This record gives sequence, C-alpha cells and structure tokens, in this order.
Amino acid sequence: MTTPPATATDAVIRVSDLRKYYGDVKAVDGVSFEVRAGEVFGLLGPNGAGKTTTVEILEGLREPDAGEVRVLGLDVARDADRLKPRIGVSLQTAAMYPKLTVVELIDLFRSFYPKSRPTDELIEALGLGERRKAQSKELSGGQRQRLAVALALVNDPELVFLDEPTTGLDPAARRALWTLVEELKASGTSVLLTTHYMEEAEILCDRLAIMDHGKLLEVGTVEELVSKHFRDRAVRFDSNAALDGALLRPLPGVTSVAIDDTDTLVYTRDVGATIGALLTAAEARDVDPQNLAIRRASLEDVFLALTGRALRD
Amino acid sequence: MRALWTLTVANIRSFIRDRAALFWTLAFPLIFIVLFGLIFQSAGESRLNLAWADADGSSQSGELRAALDAAAGVNVEDFAEQDALDRMRRGEVDAVIVVPGGYGAQLEANAGSDTPSAPAVVRVYTDPSQASLQGSVYQAVGSVLAVINMNDRPPLVVPQPETIQTENVNFISYFVPSVLGMSIMQVGIFAAIPLVADREKLILKRLAATPLRRWQLVGSNVLMRMLIALAQSVIIVAVGSFLFGVEITGNLLLTALFVILGSVAFLALGYVIASFASTEDAANGMTSVVQFPMMFLSGIFFPIQAMPDVLQTIALVIPLTYLADALRQVMVGGVPFASLGVCAAVLTGWLVVCFAIASRKFRWQ
Repeated sequence: MTTPPATATDAVIRVSDLRKYYGDVKAVDGVSFEVRAGEVFGLLGPNGAGKTTTVEILEGLREPDAGEVRVLGLDVARDADRLKPRIGVSLQTAAMYPKLTVVELIDLFRSFYPKSRPTDELIEALGLGERRKAQSKELSGGQRQRLAVALALVNDPELVFLDEPTTGLDPAARRALWTLVEELKASGTSVLLTTHYMEEAEILCDRLAIMDHGKLLEVGTVEELVSKHFRDRAVRFDSNAALDGALLRPLPGVTSVAIDDTDTLVYTRDVGATIGALLTAAEARDVDPQNLAIRRASLEDVFLALTGRALRD
Repeated sequence: MRALWTLTVANIRSFIRDRAALFWTLAFPLIFIVLFGLIFQSAGESRLNLAWADADGSSQSGELRAALDAAAGVNVEDFAEQDALDRMRRGEVDAVIVVPGGYGAQLEANAGSDTPSAPAVVRVYTDPSQASLQGSVYQAVGSVLAVINMNDRPPLVVPQPETIQTENVNFISYFVPSVLGMSIMQVGIFAAIPLVADREKLILKRLAATPLRRWQLVGSNVLMRMLIALAQSVIIVAVGSFLFGVEITGNLLLTALFVILGSVAFLALGYVIASFASTEDAANGMTSVVQFPMMFLSGIFFPIQAMPDVLQTIALVIPLTYLADALRQVMVGGVPFASLGVCAAVLTGWLVVCFAIASRKFRWQ
C-alpha cells in the first residue's frame, strides 16, 4: 500500500496553508496536502471538520481567504475556464433537476463540455440502465448518488471530487459505489473523496488526511497512520464506572487508555498480562467486563487518539 | 451555443412537467377567459341597439324602420347621422343605419318600371373588430330586407356595409389581451420559484463546477420563458377567437415584441424575488404578494379610471398596467391608457431596474 514519494510533477492537487474563515469560525485553518496522480485520496473527519469547504475551494466554488491552491497545475481562481473541463465534481447533496430523466440529465451535462463520454456508456457503467427513463426525483438514494457520479464523469475527467458519496446509503448501495471508485482508480483517474466512514477510508483510500476543526491532524496511508500511533494492540470492553482510568492505567503492559460513554480501550504491549490483571482487578470489584475483545489498532483508534472522540455516523 | 440550447430545452421540459407551473400560467388564464367570456357574452348579446339616421323621411323609409324595430331583440332609436356615428364611436349604440335622401323616390321609380335601374341603398355601419356583433347586425338587417325584396329580382333595396372603429371594445375583446398580459407576468415572476429551489438543492452550485457560464444559465431561462410566453399568446388568442370570436386586428409583429419585452421584464422581476427569497416557500409567498395586487390593480378586471385615486397611483407604476394596455392597443385597438412608446419605456425601465437589483443581489449558492 505504500506509494512512492511524490515528485513535483505528479501531484494533481497541491494545497498549502489554505485558510477560510466565516466570521469567528475557522472552517479551514492552515491546511496543506498533496494528492498524487492516479491515487484515491481521502479527507476523513466528522461533520463540520471543514472537509466540504476544502473540497469546494479546490473545485473553484469558494474563494479561499489565504493559501495557495493548484489543481492539475492550474490556479483554481485564475484558470477556472481551463480547469473545469478537466475535473469532475459530485457534491455532498446529489440533487438534480427533479423532473428530468437520467438520460436527459446526462445529455444536458454532456452539452456543457467540449468532449464527453457517450451517454449509454455512462449509464451502463453506473448501472442505471433500468432507470434511464426515470425522472431524478423518482430515484432511490443510491441511484441518485450513482447519477451524481455519472454526471461527474461525463467529461472523462482526470480528477474527480466525490464529497461524501456514500452518506445515507444502505450497505449494498455503499458497496456498489466503492466498486465504482475502485474502477475509476484502475482506469488511472485521480480521486479526492471525503467521508466520515472509517471503513470506507480504509478500503478505498491510498492515502488519507484526518481533519478536525479545520486542521489536518495527520496525512499518510492507513498503515502509516496506524503504525505511527500504535505499536500496540487494544483490549476493549463496554465502559463500566467501576473500571476507570485510575484502575486501568497502572495495569501491566498498558500504554494508554481511552474511555468514552460506551467503549473502554486499553492499549497494551502485553495483551496476556494486561487481560489477566484486568480480570483480577474486575473480580476484586465484583464486576465483569462485558463484550471483552482484543484487536489490532485501527484507523478508528488513530482517529480517537488524534481527536479525542469517536467518529460515528 | 449547444449548452444554451440544451439547457433551454431541459428547462422547457421541466416546466411542462410541473403541474403547478402549467396551471398558473396556462389553465388559470384560460379559466378566466372562459368564465368571464360566458358571463359577458350572454349579457352583451341580449339586445341589439341600432341608431337610425333617416335623411329621406319618406313613407318607405318609415316602413323599413318599423320592420327593423319589430324584429326580435332589436331596439331602434332615431338620431341625426353625425350624432349617430359619434354615439357609435363612443360605444353607446352597436350599429348605425343611414337611409340616404332619395331612398323612397328610388323605390317608387323602380316599382313602376319594367326595367328597374340600380336598387335603393341603405348604409350599415359596423365595427369589424367586434365580429360577433357585426354578424348579428347583418343578420337583423338582412332578414328585414329579405321581406321587402321577397318577390323582386333584382332586389329593391341592398345594404351597403360601412365600417367604423369604435372606442368601446367589447368586454371579452378587452379581456383577452389583458389576461394574456397577466399570464406573461406569471410566466416571468414564477421563475423565482424554480430558481430558488435549484439554489436550495445546490443545483446552481453543481452547474458552477461545470464550464457552463452564468450568462448561458440566465440566457436559457430568458429563452425558455420567452418561448413559453409566445406559445401562451397563441393558445390564449386561439381560445378567445374560437370561443368568443375575439379578432386580433392589430400588428402581429408588434404584438410579439410586446409579449417578448413583457416576458423579459417580468422574468427580471422574478430574479429580484429570487434574490430576496432564501427558501422555496418564501419564494412562493413573495410571488403571490407581487402577483395578486398586480392582477387586480392593473386595469385587467376593471378600468383604471374607475378605481379610487390611491389605487390609481399604484396602477400608474406597476408594469402589468402598461403591458396589458399595450397588448390591448396592439391586438384589438383598445383605448390607450398610455401611448405605446410610454408602455415600452415603462416596461424597459422595470427591466433595467430589476436587472440591476438582481445582478447585485442574486446569490448563486
């Protein structure tokens, strides 16, 4: 999964010290990162982290307050006319003219671009064949997202922005969209996607950035992020007031403890010693750790360690 | 250019598939026309008022007058010729019958002769812009003359049709262009609702991420509304003429120009509404707030001169007053409230002001 270091030429997006403030709210507060040609890059963070603002600045839909932004080597603000035909955009809300059909909408968007992919090919690629004559308001959530992606692909773009493409979709529709992103990647298209699903980020993204409160907390591959923060494994059980941090931290092998309303995570270098001591301590207090489990640290653990809170739907 | 046209077609499709938009812009005006047409048609046709101008004063002309007066639904009053024609211009009588001097003598000469010379003539003045009324007059006069001419060939008396333009366009002829003006207003200002909806759903934002230009987006809206307004004109005029015999006597090109000017001016007003309405519901409410006063204060349903002073002042500034007035003048020769130049200037003024406001205040996202 490791990608070679980016050179100056193969970055499709280069952002440095990007800032966007709305009054006192620092929506984007000094963000820098690069997306390399042909990779799927994820911006992962909770709602309100500043992901959408960042992406919309890259798409040329918002003006940054400060910072440098180059997309496909072009200045987004100054070269918008040259940039727009080369990128594809799917916004967070996938709404389209409600009374136009799938075919009509794709044909409409094709007319905006100097070159475009054939309508039937797009409909086929996005599995919308049975709904080609359906008006967009009649589509299910998953179909509407696929249509939004189809519209993002009409111009056969070099770089595609997908803002929360699977939010609100059922698991089957989500998986169908993942397959689509993988196909895009296989065809050499660069993808920048935002998500607040850990699993999605782990499966799809070559590299990702964790974002919270307008700042990037960490950038790297999933493995890099996990191994950087955790050499350890985690022992988890349902949170219980009797088993608090003061009790857990001194146990043998423990490196850190994270407790929230539902989950208690005990990171350890020595799983056997920690669990043995934990069970003894629990018995002494006459409680039983529920749903006890051991696992490797995951992206979720990284996120928790970085932001101090769990990332949930 | 291809994008502009494709988007225009897409807009038209969306419009036609939107039942609410179709109702307000097409069904609603047609309902008005049919309803008011039926009410005023029956009231208007109950009695035919003829002015009788007899320059001959013979017994033969007296007989003709008596025969006309006796015909069903016909009322005859005597006036001097000039007075009769003036009254008709003012709309006080429906037609004027003039019996020229020598009418009786001509009839007598022909009656006693085996080789009759030219038949005697009565002149019948009607207004061709009021086709159904004209028809009724010809019918009434024709049936009376048929009795006199019964056994005689060639005829003893022939009617000589004369035309005169009356100031008083009958109600339905006045109403059809007015309603057309109203529906053009609706096509324009109702544009605010889909505009705000498209912005709310971030469709405008999505379009901004494509190479489509804003002028193409606005241009397609203008084109679409113009085409719909023209289609509407054809439908409304067709219904008016098919059901109530309203005849469009004026210049079609000039009519089309005012239809286009009106639809663009009201579309600009629609953009102004969309500039201040942040939700679709707000846009709906604001459109009604603009629509209804305009509808009732622009002289469509009652003449402006009949309104109280305060309302007349309002009527003086609202654009629909001038669009409806111009359409009445151009299409059916209505009495001008303002000259066509003033109408065009006021509509252009509204267009410019609305455009200026919308281009400053309209938000795309």
